[in-house]
Amino acid sequence: MSSLVILILIIAGFALLSYFGHSINKTAGNIAVFAAAVLIPLYWFTRVDFSETVSFTISGFQMELGYNMYGKLFSLIVMILSPLALIYALGYMKDSKRTGTFYFSFLFSILGMTGILMSRDFISLFIFWEIMTWSSYLLVIFLGKDVEKTGIRYMVFSALGAYAMFMAIVIIHRNTGSMMLNDYFNAFGNFSTGTKFLTGILLMFGFALKSAVMPVHVWAPGAYSNTPMAYTSVFSGALSKMGVYGLGFVVINLFAHANLHFAGTILAWLGAVTAVLATFSAIFQDDAKKLLAYSSIAQLGYIVTGIGIGTELSIFAGLYLAVLHAAFKGVLFMAAGAVERQAGSTDMTEVTGLIRKMPLTFFASLVAIIALAGVPPLGGFVGKWMLYESLINNGNFLMVIMIFLSSTAAFLYSYKFLFGLFLGQEEPEFENVKEASPLMTIPMLLLSVFLMITGSFPGIVFKYIAEGMTDLGFHDVNWQMSVLTNAWGDSVNLQHVTLSIGVVFVVFLIFLTWKGYKKTYYVSTKDISSSGEVIKPEDNMTYSTDFYKPFERVLHPILKRKIEKYYDEFGEGIGALFDFMRRIYTGNGQTYAFYVIVFLVILLVFSKNIFGY
Amino acid sequence: MEGIGYKILGALLTTLLAFTVGMFYAGFRRKIIARIQNRVGPPVYQNFLDVLKLLSKKTSVNHGIMQHLAPLWLITMSVSTLMFIPVLKDGLFFTNLNFSGDLIFLLYIMVFGPLGMALGAGQTGNPNSAIGVSRGLTQMVGFEIPWIMAIVALMIQYKTTSVTGLLDIQSQNGTWMMFSSPLAFIAALLAMPGMFRYAPFDIVGAPAELASGPISEFGGKYLSTMMTSGSIFAFVKLTLYVDLFMGGASNLIELVIKTFALYMYPVLWGAVSPRFRTEQAVRYFWGWPLFFGFAALIYAAF
Repeated sequence: MSSLVILILIIAGFALLSYFGHSINKTAGNIAVFAAAVLIPLYWFTRVDFSETVSFTISGFQMELGYNMYGKLFSLIVMILSPLALIYALGYMKDSKRTGTFYFSFLFSILGMTGILMSRDFISLFIFWEIMTWSSYLLVIFLGKDVEKTGIRYMVFSALGAYAMFMAIVIIHRNTGSMMLNDYFNAFGNFSTGTKFLTGILLMFGFALKSAVMPVHVWAPGAYSNTPMAYTSVFSGALSKMGVYGLGFVVINLFAHANLHFAGTILAWLGAVTAVLATFSAIFQDDAKKLLAYSSIAQLGYIVTGIGIGTELSIFAGLYLAVLHAAFKGVLFMAAGAVERQAGSTDMTEVTGLIRKMPLTFFASLVAIIALAGVPPLGGFVGKWMLYESLINNGNFLMVIMIFLSSTAAFLYSYKFLFGLFLGQEEPEFENVKEASPLMTIPMLLLSVFLMITGSFPGIVFKYIAEGMTDLGFHDVNWQMSVLTNAWGDSVNLQHVTLSIGVVFVVFLIFLTWKGYKKTYYVSTKDISSSGEVIKPEDNMTYSTDFYKPFERVLHPILKRKIEKYYDEFGEGIGALFDFMRRIYTGNGQTYAFYVIVFLVILLVFSKNIFGY
Repeated sequence: MEGIGYKILGALLTTLLAFTVGMFYAGFRRKIIARIQNRVGPPVYQNFLDVLKLLSKKTSVNHGIMQHLAPLWLITMSVSTLMFIPVLKDGLFFTNLNFSGDLIFLLYIMVFGPLGMALGAGQTGNPNSAIGVSRGLTQMVGFEIPWIMAIVALMIQYKTTSVTGLLDIQSQNGTWMMFSSPLAFIAALLAMPGMFRYAPFDIVGAPAELASGPISEFGGKYLSTMMTSGSIFAFVKLTLYVDLFMGGASNLIELVIKTFALYMYPVLWGAVSPRFRTEQAVRYFWGWPLFFGFAALIYAAF
């Protein structure tokens, strides 16, 4: 049997095994989950044959599975992040109920993603896409919080995306007579302009929805923050990347090669607007989970911008950011989950001063935040740099300014996340908080080590991206292990950067620590200079409510409007429309017969205009 | 120019130069402001004395590791940034790592220090520190936008993103960019006081409101490191402006004259200004500076 089919079967088998294991007892289930986390990536890395294709025919439709290098790049994200998240989940879900369902849906969403990335035809793509959507839906409503609002929102928007995709697939089949992706890409140039736009935009809509591009992002903040954090790291890190995967091949294979660049540009603009507005929203969140959710939307905005611009460097930057985003947002959601579990809340106005209680979690979050903010010498900078340079080289100066605005404003929420949860005054309430279990901290630390290495040697990721881009039609993409170069030949040597920062850091670290730090003794955060006032242990002096009030005052005119409002109004409008429809569909058989006759008459009268004969 | 020894010596000399110049500038600033306010003022070398005095002080308490590291982020950032900025157009000693980084990189490494410092200030638990950080970051979003617009305008106009590339273009054309791209220069100049955080933009430290804000829990070695870093960073910023808009400098005297002239602008403006509120500061930066930034971009692109 083919290794690809075996891979799918292994994942499905482990899903069932963890489900039934958990229904026997917890230990058995956990062993199954652990085995899944180890064996699935092991199989993928050692046994899967990436040159293999499997095809079979179901009811006249030919289906084909097989990796290409572009899919392999995204599979790499899935296969590294999901096992770590599974191991993390073993710690995170230790005391929860219905863990069987959780792991079942978790593994099935991995199956969905794996399947999407190896689908070579639209039918299997659609089937796996639906598997992924449904299993993630089960996880969104898993905690039973806000099901009416977030659950239904997620479902409705996912269904919209699926319908759009389905319509596109039907139209494509009608025009090409084949379900293969490659047949579509090859035939695209010969389509009429209308069909080009219709299929392209419908597909783009379906994919953009999953990657939470404005204005179809509204499902994301609620869904990301309501899901158990063990899954959110995959949800935001890997699952949303499926949208990016799709956008990549739509924008490059279709629009770039059919000279419809402006469609990509529109997508890039949407990405930039998404980045800015989502960043502004993230800044004013008080819940760390919501903050991270909005931040995910913003980061996906950068990725979409990179993909949408469609030059070699920008796509390279977009794909690199996609990999990096999986790593750092994975860490951050895991850290938020660890805090939620250990301290009982992720409300940044309540939780403070956990740094000395949860040092490992803090360290991992710090590294991830530095990477997110794009500050050298960590990996995030590389992606930011390439994105800016590609936009500047391309002359998209307004978009550069927007991305800059968004990433400068991102410092605000980056700091707020770290300050809100880990810094500030240490309160007696959180005195007994302990560090999370090694099952939770080790995945975070592994990912942060990855982020540190990519700061000096991004080449380890570039290699796979360059391979993947050959499938998008970019051959011989230039990359070096640790030197970044833009189209004008300006470069950054990352090893020099790391070396310079490292040397200065160590020199002054010795200077500051030498003969001094050991002799100082720790005093609590209540023992501070306070103009003579004595602070009692129970006084909470942390400044965390309305942290960015002045900024809010500046942005007030912009933030007054929320896109959700328009959707709600739209919903009401639809309600009114269907109210009207009910008068047409009276439930009386005779009226229906009348409608059918009217319809046929119209067809007969206008048949020439409609069908052309 | 070969040999690691030369490189290290060059780096040390550059740092020492930046430190000395920055310290004297700060001394001049105190003197000038004192004279404007009809005081005698401290001697010009007062800041050296302050740093030495602080170095001799012992620190006996700490609030944890992030606080300990806070001055370290700052000084790492200022010295590393210095290494990537061309001090002289073609000096023997001051080349350092000029060719290893470009402007975008510089923009990003320049926020490394303030963010690390903010984390350290956060760990002290002092509410004034947190308020200061919140204000500082907000202000940063304000002034970065026109400043970035000015820089992007230069990049697009001259098709290079490296500082050395822009310097070369200026010496080839024989003109300064403040004349060849005046709009970008105006935008950058209007954003500059925010970068220096002198009045009216001294909302982070705000002595009378926040008890000097983020630095309020630091003393001794820590404070002296911060002062050192601050003076180096002032030199870095001034040199960057001179490199970008005033054609760089071919010797140290030219550099000192140009940077000092530039430095007087935020100082003198600050000497006669009261303090903005945070939102007023941001609104200021998103007003005329933004307008000139847009104008510069349009001028550069068409």
